[in-house]
Amino acid sequence: MSKALDNVVVLDLTTAFWSSIGTALLADFGAQVVKVDNLPGPGAGAGVSGWDYKAELAQRNKLSLALNLDDEAGCAILRELVRECDVLVTDWPRAEIERRGLDYVSLCALRPDIISAWASGFGPKGPDRDLPALDELAAARTGMMPILPQPGQPPVYAGAGQMYTAVMLAFGVALALHHRQATGEGQEVDVSLFAGNMYGASLDVQAFLAMGGERFLHPVARLDAGNPMSGILYPSQDGRWVCLTMPDTDRWWPGLAAIVGLDPNDPRFDSHEKRCGEHRLELIRVLEEAFRQRPADHWKRELTARQLSADLIEEFDYPANDPQAFRNRYILELDRPGVGHVKTLGFPIFMSETPARFNRAAPCVGQHSAEILHELLGYSEDRIGELAANGVIA
Amino acid sequence: MAAALEGIRVIDLTVWFQGPVAAQHLADFGAEVIKVERPQGGDQGRGVRSIKALPVGDWNQYFLVINRNKKSMALDLKKPAGREIMYRLVEKSDVFLSNMGVELLESWQLGYEKLSAVNPRLVYATNTGYGRFGQVNKPSFDMTVQALTGIMARLGEPGQPPIYLGMGSGDAYGGLMSALGIMLALYHRNRTGKGQMLDASLYGAQLFLTAPTLQAYLATGSEEYSKQQSRKAAENPLWHRYPAKDKWLFLCVPNTDESWSRLCRSLDDAALASEARFDSIEKRRRNAKALVARLDKIIKRRTAAEWMARWRPLDIVASPIHNLADLAEDPQAWENDYFVETYCEEVQRQVKVRGLPIGLSKTPGSVRSLGPELGQHTEFILTETLGYSWEQVGEFKAQGAIL
Repeated sequence: MSKALDNVVVLDLTTAFWSSIGTALLADFGAQVVKVDNLPGPGAGAGVSGWDYKAELAQRNKLSLALNLDDEAGCAILRELVRECDVLVTDWPRAEIERRGLDYVSLCALRPDIISAWASGFGPKGPDRDLPALDELAAARTGMMPILPQPGQPPVYAGAGQMYTAVMLAFGVALALHHRQATGEGQEVDVSLFAGNMYGASLDVQAFLAMGGERFLHPVARLDAGNPMSGILYPSQDGRWVCLTMPDTDRWWPGLAAIVGLDPNDPRFDSHEKRCGEHRLELIRVLEEAFRQRPADHWKRELTARQLSADLIEEFDYPANDPQAFRNRYILELDRPGVGHVKTLGFPIFMSETPARFNRAAPCVGQHSAEILHELLGYSEDRIGELAANGVIA
Repeated sequence: MAAALEGIRVIDLTVWFQGPVAAQHLADFGAEVIKVERPQGGDQGRGVRSIKALPVGDWNQYFLVINRNKKSMALDLKKPAGREIMYRLVEKSDVFLSNMGVELLESWQLGYEKLSAVNPRLVYATNTGYGRFGQVNKPSFDMTVQALTGIMARLGEPGQPPIYLGMGSGDAYGGLMSALGIMLALYHRNRTGKGQMLDASLYGAQLFLTAPTLQAYLATGSEEYSKQQSRKAAENPLWHRYPAKDKWLFLCVPNTDESWSRLCRSLDDAALASEARFDSIEKRRRNAKALVARLDKIIKRRTAAEWMARWRPLDIVASPIHNLADLAEDPQAWENDYFVETYCEEVQRQVKVRGLPIGLSKTPGSVRSLGPELGQHTEFILTETLGYSWEQVGEFKAQGAIL
């Protein structure tokens, strides 16, 4: 099988979970990703006891080079690596990037067609461009936290915004690689946690921009949902929740009416306009009452039998044991020495010719230092030994 | 300026949100995206009349923004002539993208084997609900799939209803995954001349979306990750949400002795710093509930702006928790083109739209036009791109294969 990003070398200077996932996606599809661990950092294994499940996901398929960047010899090695790489990715603060001579202009002097990707908190422009790259700060600015919960409840932090940014990072790099393939020209790529959070909230944000209105600024009570049949939850008899998504209600109404014991021709609800307009609140009340009459398992059977667009709210034990998730490699089962049988998130994209592959587990810090210096930079064994003895690499 | 995807032609046979937004990413970066729609009504997204029980107003932003920078062709794929046109389009395209059901595509003879025989260089992308493999085959709208991932069940206060991440939140992620997969496949194709099939499902994307907590749960099996946790308890009370006098704040302070003393200095509460139950990292963790309650009281004494003014010079990291009205005015969003203004033909004025979340310095994305009218470019594509004569176009029209 071939690799989508065969022969692409990525110098990975990311430090956060989310940004490291961005480069892991490139590694999953065949890029050679060299993760640079700055020395003196935490030694191998420090900080995490046992299996490091975050690294398992964020650092898989990568090589690790441990380099002391406070040492001039370490910086020299980094510059040599820049000459050999196609893409450099970092989430460092701007000041740090400039101090280390890794700004785009300096990089171009070493490698004119380099693709330089920066993953930041708030983007390259504007008054807050130097705020720390924390997903919590970006989520707080996006405007969704106050309206996710029910009225009167604390604002909700979901932690998903950073995951949009991780994929944007990989996508931005892929776009730039495509352009370079066609023209030979490199460029800068930038993504931010703020942009990722905003993108994740696309429809709410865009609706507010176009429509405005107080209803977008405060939580909407569950029993005041815009569509009684879509984007709404009803509790069943045993307290488990049923979730309905039938936006085009004309299509789904006969089936839904049948399972909740309503006449599909009930004149209160016999058109989309009535269901979502004048009789919206009444239909919500009727459905609330109906779903309470039977337990969740009953509803699951009925919904499935009629192929309705609805399901039960599940907890993480559901995907963790879902054959569908394993069959499609969304979740993987692996054996890890000293840990045993483990489950880890797999690959969200299926490709027939260049599938994502799990070639190597997350590296220990410096696991591939000698290999990289030898293979990418042609260093001799003696020289590598000397650098290690001097604490430049580990 | 040059566009990253200049010369790339994409067939966008998608409806609602996930598929259209995947193609929108490609269109923003200059691909020629041809949206193929059924002649009767087109994409269902055109029919959106209200959001949150509010009328969408004089322009349907739901449809027009995710279909920006695209052309529209109205084609009846149930008719042989419609399919003939589609095959000719496939011959001349780089990417075929659809979020229709796999069986429906097969029934229209638009499966991967058929189309890759027409054009072996084709990148064939689908957005299934639950993946290409396995037995599951059921409707897959965003929120019901999110329901299955487990993320909804863990959000909110104990006893409160589960929480959805926002309209189309999972679709947006599936669309982005799809766009990434297409770029990877194009890169490979440009090198090898070989197309392929790819799939980014809504379920697969949404499982990945919840990685920060699902990965932890897979490793530990701990209910700490899978069940609702009260705000009144916290692993680190210094990294937490608190209500100020007027609005909420997100305080992001690591639990170290140094940052604790810095925070205490800013709080104007003499007793707090000397309280023995909070005087070490371990005690602040162990007595988290009491500390959250103390901080709740203290932080309520001032407004968010007052706290921010105190904290900024002390390098105490925090943010007011904004609402969408704050976001709409946020200079940070506008200066980075995360919001832009563009002309809307439908209402003949400038409108504000979601902009460009990914920056490329030499080949930036752009918003050149909002979504097309149904079939707006059918004749243009038939004659200019596919080389049909006007006579043939007339025949297609008579057969009802085009609008």
